[in-house]
Amino acid sequence: MDKINDLDLEDLNYQLPRRHRTEELAKLANSTKFTRKEIQLIYRGFKQECPTGLVDEDNFKAIFSQFFPQGDASQYAHYVFNTIKQGQNNGKIGFEDFLNILSRVSRGTVQEKLQWIFGLYDLNGDGLITQAEMLDVVNSIYDMLGRNTEPQVETTSAKEHVEKIFHQIDTNKDGVVTIEELVDWCLQDEKIVQSLEMLDTVL
Amino acid sequence: MASVAAWLPFARAAAIGWVPIATHPLPPPPISKDRRKSEDEKLLINVSGRRFETWRNTLEKYPDTLLGSNEREFFYDEDSKQYFFDRDPDIFRHILNYYRTGKLHYPKHECLTSYEEELAFFGILSDVIGDCCFEDYKDRKRENSERLMDDKLSENGDNQNLQQLTNIRQKMWRSFENPHTSTSALVFYYVTGFFIAVSVMANVIETVSCGIKPGRSGTLPCGERYKIVFFCLDTACVMIFTAEYLLRLFAAPDRCKFMRSVMSIIDVVAIMPYYIGLGITDNDDVSGAFVTLRVFRVFRIFKFSRHSQGLRILGYTLKSCASELGFLVFSLAMAIIIFATVMFYAEKNVESTNFTSIPAAFWYTIVTMTTLGYGDMVPKTIAGKIVGGVCSLSGVLVIALPVPVIVSNFSRIYHQNQRADKRKAQRKARLARIRIAKASSGAAFVSKKKAAEARLAAQESGLEVDENYREEDIFELQHHHLLRCLEKTTDREFVEMEVPYNGQPKRPGSPSPMASPTHSTASNTGLLQACCGRCCGQRYQVKAIRHDPNFFTDQCAPFLCTYIYLHSFSFFLYSFPHTPHTSDDDDNNIPYTISHVFSSDDRRLITFFN
Repeated sequence: MDKINDLDLEDLNYQLPRRHRTEELAKLANSTKFTRKEIQLIYRGFKQECPTGLVDEDNFKAIFSQFFPQGDASQYAHYVFNTIKQGQNNGKIGFEDFLNILSRVSRGTVQEKLQWIFGLYDLNGDGLITQAEMLDVVNSIYDMLGRNTEPQVETTSAKEHVEKIFHQIDTNKDGVVTIEELVDWCLQDEKIVQSLEMLDTVL
Repeated sequence: MASVAAWLPFARAAAIGWVPIATHPLPPPPISKDRRKSEDEKLLINVSGRRFETWRNTLEKYPDTLLGSNEREFFYDEDSKQYFFDRDPDIFRHILNYYRTGKLHYPKHECLTSYEEELAFFGILSDVIGDCCFEDYKDRKRENSERLMDDKLSENGDNQNLQQLTNIRQKMWRSFENPHTSTSALVFYYVTGFFIAVSVMANVIETVSCGIKPGRSGTLPCGERYKIVFFCLDTACVMIFTAEYLLRLFAAPDRCKFMRSVMSIIDVVAIMPYYIGLGITDNDDVSGAFVTLRVFRVFRIFKFSRHSQGLRILGYTLKSCASELGFLVFSLAMAIIIFATVMFYAEKNVESTNFTSIPAAFWYTIVTMTTLGYGDMVPKTIAGKIVGGVCSLSGVLVIALPVPVIVSNFSRIYHQNQRADKRKAQRKARLARIRIAKASSGAAFVSKKKAAEARLAAQESGLEVDENYREEDIFELQHHHLLRCLEKTTDREFVEMEVPYNGQPKRPGSPSPMASPTHSTASNTGLLQACCGRCCGQRYQVKAIRHDPNFFTDQCAPFLCTYIYLHSFSFFLYSFPHTPHTSDDDDNNIPYTISHVFSSDDRRLITFFN
């Protein structure tokens, strides 16, 4: 009698490992700006890389680093990873989150894109970008270059770059950049608005 | 579709973060939105009647294997519209899985030679076998080669990576730790070994009798007869040992750690008695202590453990088998006490008995349990004899039990040691491959850029350019566009890396696979000219245009002759001789073709760059 009770208790505590179920294809096609065929292609590749359907940060960094073979892309990948809302998957991103961000950033409106960019630079999520935060992100961008560039990347390159740009964006000179200042800065330069459209991918 | 390519859209999207801080505006994308990618198609492969189907892109992940390249066209059967191979279908399954998952597995029930033949046929190098199966494969291969009396086990573990050590200290330390790195280290190794042997022999021979003590009874040991000779010998040995110890101390990277290590303590114990002996005068009080000190000289024999790995492993085994040894000692002690007590009480009443006390009986029990039986203590009563019999029988059992455990521990640790060496060699080779692949992918981007510059230069100088190109791999184009955006953001340009030649001996008849990229592009341009001569009827001049800020703001029309470039690049790779790869995996085995460098868990980035 006692033995059976023990087994029951064990069963109660035992959590069945649950498989992460991705959203339906039709739903995704409706909620994002990709066509069915494109989503199919993307998903097949995604699932091949991550058979469980979830990407954790190390995985993400490794995948991201392959596109920048000459430098170290892990820090930038870390910042990008943080912009993706993880939802309930405790630190891992599922296909829906991935596709959501992709749709917003590569095919969204200028406002959505700028929103995402602001989220990227605002490391602590307080709605303001300080010069230090921008310096961190720009440092990570320079890290991706690696050593074999002309001219070479110095340790002060990023700092100089940030100092040049930050003052131009921070129009009211209060030491922080708000989302409106960023939007204004990007919209007033035609070239920047154009550049935002250059990074979509044809599948 | 190449799976990593699935993430390219995301990487490109993430690059939007660079836009606000970009120093120059980003170049336009190479492909307009209305250009569609050609649909992927499924290929049918018939291997001895068993049909396999897979996507074309899966096979083209590894472009310099048979299936991934044009070589498979030789096996195309027009009538049935399939590729027919008259090979083993069971092994082909694993080969196809390699394309699908990137991991090559080795089936344990297959014969090693037949598996290797299939790999060679399909152009897959055996060093891409995954970690899970690699050990098994290696073990089988070793047995095989030993059986064929063709020992291919190389001892190059120590010869890898002759780094440039900057200072004398590091060089010395390395030559102390690995005697095989240089001739002087080897000489030092043998010299110290020789002197250890000489010293130990001298200690031994010192005590041999060399004649009769003059005027007294008793023999004269050689040590006293040839006192000066032995003293000189001892001095010489101690000089050498002291010098060695001081040199090691000087060269050690962490002196405190070195001083606490076992070997250094043994060194100190070996030479201390001599110096203490020098200090002590011929005083009767301390001469007893002096004699004791000489005993410590025998510790010099432990210095041999630097020279013998087996000895070190034995020591390590004993250390790790401490619990089994402890059990052995404990159970023996228990048995000794029990039997000694019983023997004592059984033999107590015999007159003039040897068993005067229980501790005295201990000696008898030990001698009996280990089946030595000196016979100096013998029971006389019947009860005593019975107990003695039981004692010797149980002794065999108690001692025999823990010994196999210790032996198996030794064997396990020994094999583990070997496995660690194998794994180290494989990891080094894999890191080298990753380095090469990174270098090649970076170099490919730079060369593509140069090709585009060349084409544009030709266009600018008014040469007629043939509009002859075919569907370019759009992922590659877009990936390169991404890298150009990074260049524009940071106002820098990627340049070619100097791939270092790692000093490995070249195999005869093959060019060094890690030729510097400048060399490769030179030959590429040669081929480019040759190919373009055929296709485009013109000759290009590769002009390196650097720091031309206006260059990329022009409309980058699709690359001309990139098709030709691709072909010339693959031509370049094919021109390397393909020899079957049968030797062991270590740094010497740099694969010939640059693109085929990825193994199981390396990424398939190479789909972009060929």
